[in-house]
Amino acid sequence: MLEISGLESGYGDVRVLSGVTLSIAPGEIVALLGPNGAGKSTLLNCVAGLVRPWGGAIRWDGDDLRALDAHLIVERGVALVPEGRRLFGGMTVQENLELGAFAPRVWGGRRAALERVYALFPVLAERRRTAVQALSGGQQQMVAVGRALMARPRLLMLDEPSLGLAPRLVAAILEALAAINREGVAVFLVEQNVPAALSVAHRGYLLEGGRIVGEGSGAALMADAHVRRAYLGPLAVRHGE
Amino acid sequence: MTAVGHERRWALAILAALGLLALLPLAGPREDLLNFVFLILLSITLAESWNIVAGYAGQVNLGHAAFFGLGALVTRTLWIGGTPVPLAMAAGAVTATMFALVIGVAAFRLRGAYFAIGTLALGEILKATIGNVLPEISTLPAATIASYRLTLRYYLALGLAAVSVIAVATLATSRLGLGMRAIREDEEAAEASGVGALALKLTALALSTALAGLAGGLFAYYHISYYPAHPFGPHWTFDALLMTFIGGVGTLQGPVLGAALYVVLKEYLALRWVDIHLLIFGALFVAIVLLLPGGLVQAAERARWMFGRRA
Amino acid sequence: MTVLAQQLLLGLLIGGLYGLAAAGLSLIFGVMRVLNVAHGELIMLGGYGAFWLSALLGVDPFASLVIVIPASLLLGAVLYWGLFGFVVRAHEETRVKNSLLIGFGLALALHALAVRLWTADERSIPTSYGGAVLSLGDLAIPLVRLATLVLALLLIVALQLLLSRWRWGKAIRATAEDWQAALLTGIDIRRAYLLAFALGTALAGAAGTLVTVAYSVSPSIGLEWTLKALIVVVLAGLGSMMGTFVGGLVLGVAEAASAATFGGPYREIVGLVIFVVVLAVRPRGLFGR
Repeated sequence: MLEISGLESGYGDVRVLSGVTLSIAPGEIVALLGPNGAGKSTLLNCVAGLVRPWGGAIRWDGDDLRALDAHLIVERGVALVPEGRRLFGGMTVQENLELGAFAPRVWGGRRAALERVYALFPVLAERRRTAVQALSGGQQQMVAVGRALMARPRLLMLDEPSLGLAPRLVAAILEALAAINREGVAVFLVEQNVPAALSVAHRGYLLEGGRIVGEGSGAALMADAHVRRAYLGPLAVRHGE
Repeated sequence: MTAVGHERRWALAILAALGLLALLPLAGPREDLLNFVFLILLSITLAESWNIVAGYAGQVNLGHAAFFGLGALVTRTLWIGGTPVPLAMAAGAVTATMFALVIGVAAFRLRGAYFAIGTLALGEILKATIGNVLPEISTLPAATIASYRLTLRYYLALGLAAVSVIAVATLATSRLGLGMRAIREDEEAAEASGVGALALKLTALALSTALAGLAGGLFAYYHISYYPAHPFGPHWTFDALLMTFIGGVGTLQGPVLGAALYVVLKEYLALRWVDIHLLIFGALFVAIVLLLPGGLVQAAERARWMFGRRA
Repeated sequence: MTVLAQQLLLGLLIGGLYGLAAAGLSLIFGVMRVLNVAHGELIMLGGYGAFWLSALLGVDPFASLVIVIPASLLLGAVLYWGLFGFVVRAHEETRVKNSLLIGFGLALALHALAVRLWTADERSIPTSYGGAVLSLGDLAIPLVRLATLVLALLLIVALQLLLSRWRWGKAIRATAEDWQAALLTGIDIRRAYLLAFALGTALAGAAGTLVTVAYSVSPSIGLEWTLKALIVVVLAGLGSMMGTFVGGLVLGVAEAASAATFGGPYREIVGLVIFVVVLAVRPRGLFGR
């Protein structure tokens, strides 16, 4: 479904990705792990069309995504929940969610999509007329995920959704992701919180220094010595607690 | 952007041309020719002075006319009151610079476009104030008119143009100029490497406004009668902007070329359609901003490069 | 006392037009960080459009809004496609600076064109009802000017509705807030830019028509109105069309107050001084985010 091969990218003179190859099949939950600065966000931004790659290919259903503007990529069924949520602060929950269905393909069905999002995140239904600035971090994250879902994506990408959230909320988000996945949506999850990510993911990739250095099933990665040392040691545990 | 070495070469070329122009009055030409060249020389000074802040310090100052006007105001007042012209002009330049430094500290806190519109507003405030305080036309006393010698003013304009060219050339090739260019490229990075941005910008502003003040003094010395608010009018700024950008902002020869072209075209076309030169230059200006930010200088370099490849 | 009240009233009446003029500029700048300093010239063109329609075809100036507004929308679209659309390719700081310069060139060209087409003389649109006045106690309210205030307010309200109810209006607001997030929700931000620019220009054209019918038009009102609009935008900040309108009223009244206190010539200066002071103290304005 999504095939990335030899992807290279960076900002200005700084190279961030040095030949990344990975793929995502329909219905999978795939985690992308790695330290800060490894290029995880850059990778997602390349797929979403916010950053132009320097080289390599990004294929979605066989089509080259590199030539498309970001809003057209959403139209094709790939939606990104960006790091830091990037909600439209001055607007209400409902307005933010509605805008998520802006793409022509899904605009007509937005009411139904809205009901589905409210069913997934009931707390948002109660607060639909509240300005998102007034929401808590966890609720804002739900709006962000909901907004991306409104585009009825076949692949949902998330950039560090657990950042700044209490464990209880992280669990809630992960549950929601599992539920979304059960409906057939593939999930590409970038996370520094390794235990959380691997608890839902079928598969994972390890990105270090702009390259894929490891791949395997969720369980295999959890058991891997390198992963345990680098990401599940005392420091990592503190992050995941 | 031209390399630093070229500035010296261009400076010499321009000074040589100015030297030739010094011979013009000896050939006994018509007065309107001298007036015409005078206008070009004044424009060169005005454009080069504006270029210092825009091209070398990277800020678009839309209130430049204020300094031109202040120089004119102080010079005129002192000169008519009996002060010798050189002293009066110096006083005009000093006044302009003092004013610039005072507002500069506050103005430079504004970034980019805000600096531009802020300086525009300041210029307009000054113009409106002077227009209200001194609404009557300023005319030279009869005795002064009787002893008016155009040639003297012509040489003064020539000298001032030469001074402004030398000043810009010296600035461009100096450590100061290097620092300014760093700010222009990327202010934050420059600050991080120890370049004191505010001090440099103020220095650029001081030099720019001193020259503008002198140009204003020249204006006051040249014209027999004018409204005191006239030299404060925004079109002096806009003219300088057009000339500099079209010629090539940030280069030494750009403003000179732009000034010459502008005045020639303006005088030539004024016969048919009064403001058509503005229509043409407005459109040319837009084209340059979009397509050729280096102005005619950049165009000339591209042409030379292209022809160089053929040879 | 009554003289002062009368002056303040007149200031309020023109303030509404300041607000309308500023709203267009604010919309465009807020959405795409393009500072079109030819905005005043677009107002001027709207005024001359109404003038022509009246002089050549006898169209009532208020009725001519029906033609001037769509024509200005189209002009805005053309200017975006042909000119400002290229500016948005750069990132923000360069964008603002380039749009300033381009707007400057455009303003010069339009000004020269206007002088050619209509001469430098002031033009106005005489109407049969032009002198009508509503008396309220000791105050004399010129009806035409009152009508322009009301229309300006209506246009602002209409714009506000458009931005909050229309699908593309919401897209414009989203783009103004965070263009990358807007892209991620499937919004074609270039189209949002185009629409915002066209809308802003339409407001300018409408303002020009109202200015001409209530006062007069000449090629030099371009710079004057660009400055007024800038003053109000800086005063009111970005993000609220209603706030911008009120900012316009504030400017109008402030001008009237200063003219009444210090004398007529200082009317112009007070606005500029307010501008400079607000810029120095609070670049974000009073209402803005």
